[in-house]
Amino acid sequence: MTQLVLQSVVSGLLVGGMYGLVALGLALAFGVLKVLNVAHGELLMVGGYAAFFAFTVWGLDPFVSLPLVFIVMFGFGTVLYLIVFRYVTRTEIHTRIKNSLLISFGLVLVLQALAVRFFTADERTISTAYSSEAITIGLVRVPVVRLAGLIVAVVAAVLLEWLLNRTRFGRAVRATSEDWTRAALTGIDVNRVYLIAFALSAALAGVAGSLISLGYSVSPNIGLGWTLKALIVVVLAGLGSMRGIIVAGLFLGLTESLAAVWLGGEYREVAALVLFLVVLSFRPQGLFGRAYA
Amino acid sequence: MLRVDGLEVAYGDLQVVWGVSFEVPEESIVTILGPNGAGKTTTLLALMGLLPVVAGSVTFDGSSLIDVPTHQIVEHGLVMIPEERATFSAMSVEENLELGAYTPRARQSREETLAEVLELFPRLGERMRQRAGTLSGGERQMLAIGKALMAKPLLLILDEPSLGLAPIIVEHTFEAIEQIRGRGVSVLMVEQHVEMALQIADHAYVLEMGSIVAEGSSSEMSDNPRVQEAYLSL
Repeated sequence: MTQLVLQSVVSGLLVGGMYGLVALGLALAFGVLKVLNVAHGELLMVGGYAAFFAFTVWGLDPFVSLPLVFIVMFGFGTVLYLIVFRYVTRTEIHTRIKNSLLISFGLVLVLQALAVRFFTADERTISTAYSSEAITIGLVRVPVVRLAGLIVAVVAAVLLEWLLNRTRFGRAVRATSEDWTRAALTGIDVNRVYLIAFALSAALAGVAGSLISLGYSVSPNIGLGWTLKALIVVVLAGLGSMRGIIVAGLFLGLTESLAAVWLGGEYREVAALVLFLVVLSFRPQGLFGRAYA
Repeated sequence: MLRVDGLEVAYGDLQVVWGVSFEVPEESIVTILGPNGAGKTTTLLALMGLLPVVAGSVTFDGSSLIDVPTHQIVEHGLVMIPEERATFSAMSVEENLELGAYTPRARQSREETLAEVLELFPRLGERMRQRAGTLSGGERQMLAIGKALMAKPLLLILDEPSLGLAPIIVEHTFEAIEQIRGRGVSVLMVEQHVEMALQIADHAYVLEMGSIVAEGSSSEMSDNPRVQEAYLSL
């Protein structure tokens, strides 16, 4: 029994790291542009396929292709912003959420259909020579590819915090997310901030997708599931802290995993949603969010 | 320096500014007076490119500002402090000031400007690490002005600088505005504190229902019966 619990703690934390990584990009787009991109999971799916085909077609190891996927998805995010989300950010702040929901739901359907058409509905996983390797600590097995995923998630959060808090551009991003009008009056090109923040959000989704196609699997319909987890994580963490997002992701993964062990597998999702409701009722600004708007 | 001619501004179908014209000469303080809802803030937001201009022209140092994005207008040297203090509350005083010098032109002289700002408002120097959201109203006002000065304005635009401030702080604010003009910066301000505004301004315009209804030098306006009756409660 102890072994089972310990093992689920570890697997919960490992999958939680992925929840956190997926949520980073979603939180960035929501915090800065005030758009809720429910197609974030589909961006992840596209990134996952990019890594998969880089591996099967060119034989590129997924950790080698990770920076490439980042760049390609940054470009994809840029195009998506210019042809779709640019028109959402032109509207007033309080209408952006509903407009972005409608538009990104449409995008979900389009990207899923295109993925089925071009990549088929098969489930794909990158299987490298080290895919089945694991580190054994006492009674617990830690799969190396999932461990690497967790490490990448933490590194991404640290780098993102550094960018936001320590650079001139990051300061402009934070100013824009606090109040875009004041940011514009400060001399910040708000549309450029929006563009880069959105592209970065897509690039982070791509990185998450790469790791998911390695440690888990990709198929055209995985997107919404990950988006939902990421949404829960963003609500749990609140906006304003990237490290907080990762911690909330780990917390969600752990809760799900322990609920599955103690209450049975069917309670995994239930526990996640109960946690979501409890935090929403008692701490609507999130566990690490700032109370002021 | 700034010349506005026949400016018309609308929010969608609702037009609120009807052919407003005024001028801000170099090194002067000009004030726009008027009741709530007269279109004063709307006029300023349109100047800064934050609201679409329906008709009319806005020229600054000879070049048109119509359809120029806001951040480029700031780069040109028009810097506006909106109502309710334009600071970023989640950031420290230091970060706010650094952010003030965001445009390439302002960044070059950031160090010297910061020294000047801290000389004008020594209190800010003591509060550098504090979050702007936790400052008092007067300190926030200093920070808002300091941040605007960091952008190296040629023309500083203030929307109701006295709003919500204690009388003594309003007085300090107006003193600071005069000092800023003394450094060669022109000032355009919208004010409801008419008496004090007329004391420091060179020229005043009265805006009512979206149109200029009176204008003149500050002393003329102080003697104008209409202004006296409506704004000075004499």
